[in-house]
Amino acid sequence: MRTHIIILSTLALLAALPLVATSYYLYLVELAMINAIVAIGLNLLSGNCGQISLCNASFMGIGAYCTALCTTRLGLPVLIALPAGAMTSALLGAALGYPARRLSGLYLALTTLGFLELVGVVIEEFPQITGGIRGLKVPRPEMFGYSFQSNDSLYFFVLVLTMGAITVGYNIQRSRYGRAFDAVRQSPFAAQALGIPVARIKVIAFSLNAAFAGFAGGLLASVVGFIDPPEFGILTSIQHITFIVVGGLGSIAGSIAGAVLLTALPEMLRGVQEYSELIYGLILLGTLLFLPQGLVGMAAKFEGLRSAKPPAKEPAYGAP
Amino acid sequence: MALLEINALSVRFGGVAAVTDLSLAISAGEIHGIIGPNGAGKTSLINAITGMVVPHSGSIRFSNKEIAGVAPHTISSFGLGRTFQHVELFADRSVFDNVLTGFFRHQSYGLFAAAIRFGKAAKSERRTQDLTRALLDAFDLAPLADTRAGLLPFGVQKRVDIARALAAEPKLLLLDEPVSGMSEAEAETAVATMRKLARDHGITLVVVEHNMRVLMNLAERVTVLNQGRLLASGTPAEMQADAAVIEAYLGDAV
Amino acid sequence: MTSRIILQLALSGLSIGSIYALVGLALVLPFKASGIVNFAQGEIVTFGAYLALILTSLGLPYLAVVPLVLIGAAAFGTVIERLLIRPIVHQPEFTLVIVTFAIGFIIKSAIRLHWQDNTFSIEAPFVGPPLVLGELRLNPAYLVYIATTVLVVVALLVFFGYSKFGKAMRATAIDPIAAKLMGVRIGSVFSAAWALSTMLGASVGLLLAPVIGINPEIGHLILKGLVAAVIGGFTSLGGALAGGLLLGLLETYAGAFFGATFKNLVPFGVLILLLLLRPQGLAGASSVRRV
Repeated sequence: MRTHIIILSTLALLAALPLVATSYYLYLVELAMINAIVAIGLNLLSGNCGQISLCNASFMGIGAYCTALCTTRLGLPVLIALPAGAMTSALLGAALGYPARRLSGLYLALTTLGFLELVGVVIEEFPQITGGIRGLKVPRPEMFGYSFQSNDSLYFFVLVLTMGAITVGYNIQRSRYGRAFDAVRQSPFAAQALGIPVARIKVIAFSLNAAFAGFAGGLLASVVGFIDPPEFGILTSIQHITFIVVGGLGSIAGSIAGAVLLTALPEMLRGVQEYSELIYGLILLGTLLFLPQGLVGMAAKFEGLRSAKPPAKEPAYGAP
Repeated sequence: MALLEINALSVRFGGVAAVTDLSLAISAGEIHGIIGPNGAGKTSLINAITGMVVPHSGSIRFSNKEIAGVAPHTISSFGLGRTFQHVELFADRSVFDNVLTGFFRHQSYGLFAAAIRFGKAAKSERRTQDLTRALLDAFDLAPLADTRAGLLPFGVQKRVDIARALAAEPKLLLLDEPVSGMSEAEAETAVATMRKLARDHGITLVVVEHNMRVLMNLAERVTVLNQGRLLASGTPAEMQADAAVIEAYLGDAV
Repeated sequence: MTSRIILQLALSGLSIGSIYALVGLALVLPFKASGIVNFAQGEIVTFGAYLALILTSLGLPYLAVVPLVLIGAAAFGTVIERLLIRPIVHQPEFTLVIVTFAIGFIIKSAIRLHWQDNTFSIEAPFVGPPLVLGELRLNPAYLVYIATTVLVVVALLVFFGYSKFGKAMRATAIDPIAAKLMGVRIGSVFSAAWALSTMLGASVGLLLAPVIGINPEIGHLILKGLVAAVIGGFTSLGGALAGGLLLGLLETYAGAFFGATFKNLVPFGVLILLLLLRPQGLAGASSVRRV
């Protein structure tokens, strides 16, 4: 019940935001929402399924370029271009996940790193398609002849799509697929004994993660109006990981919280922007060392302290 | 017709022969014990049957299907389940979720249905959750449903392991040292549960143990392994009296 | 394509390969000792270069700077190991990988904060006009790279093969519990492995700085070191050496015959192919795990 109240009031606040906020703050909230989508996808792969991925930014980039090319070169409406971008990413995610399905830990990390670099090289070496290192301009999204030129309309566009993505992420996490992801992470042997096809589940997880990242990438391209290749390098991948680590691995609410907080962070540190990279690194390191359960874990502990007696059971992993 | 038929099975690791030329037949509805001192090849045998390891030679037929070398999850889908000596629960999740996960292969909705939830997936989830609650009740685990599995005492974890394995509705359940680490009282309850499983649900049990006393009360037939080979096979009483078996076990609990 | 050019390219390939090999060795050492890959190794190289910058700007000559940087790096590595790595050794692999990434991140950001993205240069005795040997033109820096790597490998072989501490390290790599039971202070072994690896990384920074300049991006070559280590199966020091040299040669020849684009794709192509087809490397042992 309490969760429902929180969600509804947040939605109400978000819907009312354009009445009070300047276009800059709307833009910031849009970025936070896009990052939330990314975080949810990465959480499914790394938090739930336990597969490390250093190339998340690449999938975002693939979705961004694909969506942009669909709208600019092929003249497709954004409601087709976005899913097309997501689907292309998903396919490539599966293409990476399939041969990598027997790898784990270090070797998996290296493979994803290699993929990240490979995508980067491809982006640079084919400027006829990607615009090369100079980037690509993207027009405002268009739907049924209506162009989202006004900042307010673009905001609602992103808001609605984000709510949809969050719902999908939440549904998948509590479905048999979410349980399978978790089983693969915690005990692949037990998972197999229960008939869960471990390798196939890993590929699905990779594919889903890529789909979310690709979708977010397409949205990003539409919101920013420009695709900048350095956006899709190792720095961004690490930022994405920071979202889910700080928020709490395995938790959707955590992923959203982490994404929102860390998108707002550079803004809050506007005066000292050169420090933002350093601060990111420190926050990531600090969270890993001292707060391995992230914000969600911290909240649970706080709950336990508040009710004056220790919780009879600790929060179940992957609790929404 | 035997439910599980093993013929001339050999399992090797590098140069070491873990199991050599083993033949064994287990009938449907039977409670069969497999026993042997440490290093007898019990674990390798289980791993070969469940597909974790590819045998060097020989055949394993389950429900008249050849399963040697087949992928583990496929073997499970044929109706062969197992529990683990060291439990292997999903420690971070609740007991309820652990058992719920066991129903995976009996749910059939796809990814898109899961994403929408409405309709097919929701119905399947409701049904499976009801089944999970029933299973928890049957195993006296209902009050612990929301507890994190990793926090439970070992004996209780083993109970959850069995409940979870049953969710997959196996025709044959391989239990790997099911009472190791349990107290006397827990072991007795476990044995009673296993007997009930066989009798009431018609599940064939293959119990791998190194404690003969447990098998005395439970198994109808026992196969004794030693150094990867079949040493003797018969009723528990016969095995206890067998000279070769006693010699192999000199000093062990017989 | 004359034999002179082929030889010239071979030399070039071997020299850059030596650098890759050094980074690869620096990666394999802590992995063998404690099972952790230090993804901050690239930034250790950068750290070494900037430390050299600081010391040379104080007026010290290059040859005096070398030992100071090595000692400083060893200390730095020990501190990192004690404070940041030791507490998390038992955490899942995900955490370990990300932590070392974060450390590298922090080092790089701190460097950029102070020096921005400018490129600096320092002087070194081995930078100079090419030596002429018959028809070959030998860049003295190349020779120094190759010579250093050979020296390092010999030193490591002697250390691990004959010294007491070296043998202790080998024992710990094989079975830490057994080693501990035999009286080996495995904490010291871990610290030593990290210190050694940071020294190696910093030495690469020292070697590269006078030739390619000092800027925050030089740490990017960790990727090449990773490929070298993977070719060697990540558990073999000799394999990392061979892997580095092989990679250097492959890259150089690919670049000469097929152009820069191809050259850039070589390391990643090799990496992905190896990881997917033969993750145990060309030297490592194969372990079959059915999942």
